[in-house]
Amino acid sequence: MSDTWLPSGEDPREQKAPPRGEREVVLGYLHFYRQTLELKCQGLDAERLARRAVPPSSMSLLGLLRHMAGVEHSWNKRVLQGHLELTRLYRDHPEDRDWDFNGAVEDDEVVEQAWTSWRAEVADAEAWLAQDDFDRLVPLEDEEIEVRDIAVHLVEEYARHCGHADLLRECIDGRTGQ
Amino acid sequence: MTELENLRRWLTDLRATVERKVEGLSADQLAARSAPPSELSILGLVRHLAQMEHYWFVLTLSRADEPRLFVPDGDWDAQFRDAVADDAVVVDALDTWRAVCARADTVMDHLEPADLEIEWEPEDRKGSVRGALTQVLYEYSRHCGHLDLLREAIDGQTGE
Repeated sequence: MSDTWLPSGEDPREQKAPPRGEREVVLGYLHFYRQTLELKCQGLDAERLARRAVPPSSMSLLGLLRHMAGVEHSWNKRVLQGHLELTRLYRDHPEDRDWDFNGAVEDDEVVEQAWTSWRAEVADAEAWLAQDDFDRLVPLEDEEIEVRDIAVHLVEEYARHCGHADLLRECIDGRTGQ
Repeated sequence: MTELENLRRWLTDLRATVERKVEGLSADQLAARSAPPSELSILGLVRHLAQMEHYWFVLTLSRADEPRLFVPDGDWDAQFRDAVADDAVVVDALDTWRAVCARADTVMDHLEPADLEIEWEPEDRKGSVRGALTQVLYEYSRHCGHLDLLREAIDGQTGE
């Protein structure tokens, strides 16, 4: 995929030195894909952000932003921080488990709320993961999983959704790259 | 689970995702540019993933002296452009990709957890075994995102 988005030197994701060590590499990638999602949403109005640009998929960039806020919230606050009693974000419509996507409508207030929520969840998860022990076992349903597994999963999920964002954005205004 | 085991488990899952995304489609469907204006097709992505695994595991980690896959004479666009609706092209892409996955697995079978720390400095960029495995994993993830939307646009199939 060509790098036609921002000129070299202006990409906020460029790193001076390659990261070293498990934690630095995984968290470096997590930061990279969070910034990628943000770039893919940049410069679009509410109509474009909410557009289901690759039919028949119900995905939109706004839906992805809401979904990722929910993903950050669930893994970080519910699982890593041990508050499984918390209600997941965008699950306030019990009849619709896909409300993060389906409720992503063309409305400036909805857009503003999605950014605020995503940024808050990212900041909280970043701070938590920076100090958590990757070998720690965390209870999840009937088993225990390592923090390492959750961290890698988060990056994998971001990267996959960035793949969705690539095609959505290209269908909206032809923009590709990065 | 060690870091190496964890990375391998995720990579195995993602390759299985690719198998599910190609399953049951005709050559026409596999070669369809189903999310225009994007030039991506499922078949093009299979060829690209084979090229990518081959680059990291065979050319970079194993230092094998072989031409890059699906990039004839440095023609990078051929990976996607030449992914045409032809049964022979489909069979070649899938066979090549599966064979490269098997070679990559052999490379990883010979790695010890501590080998992730190994670093090198080729012509223009520094790298490490950890960096290579991680890059492969997340590149698969992003391309699986492309496969999700391409497949859904072809026959409505969704899922992991």
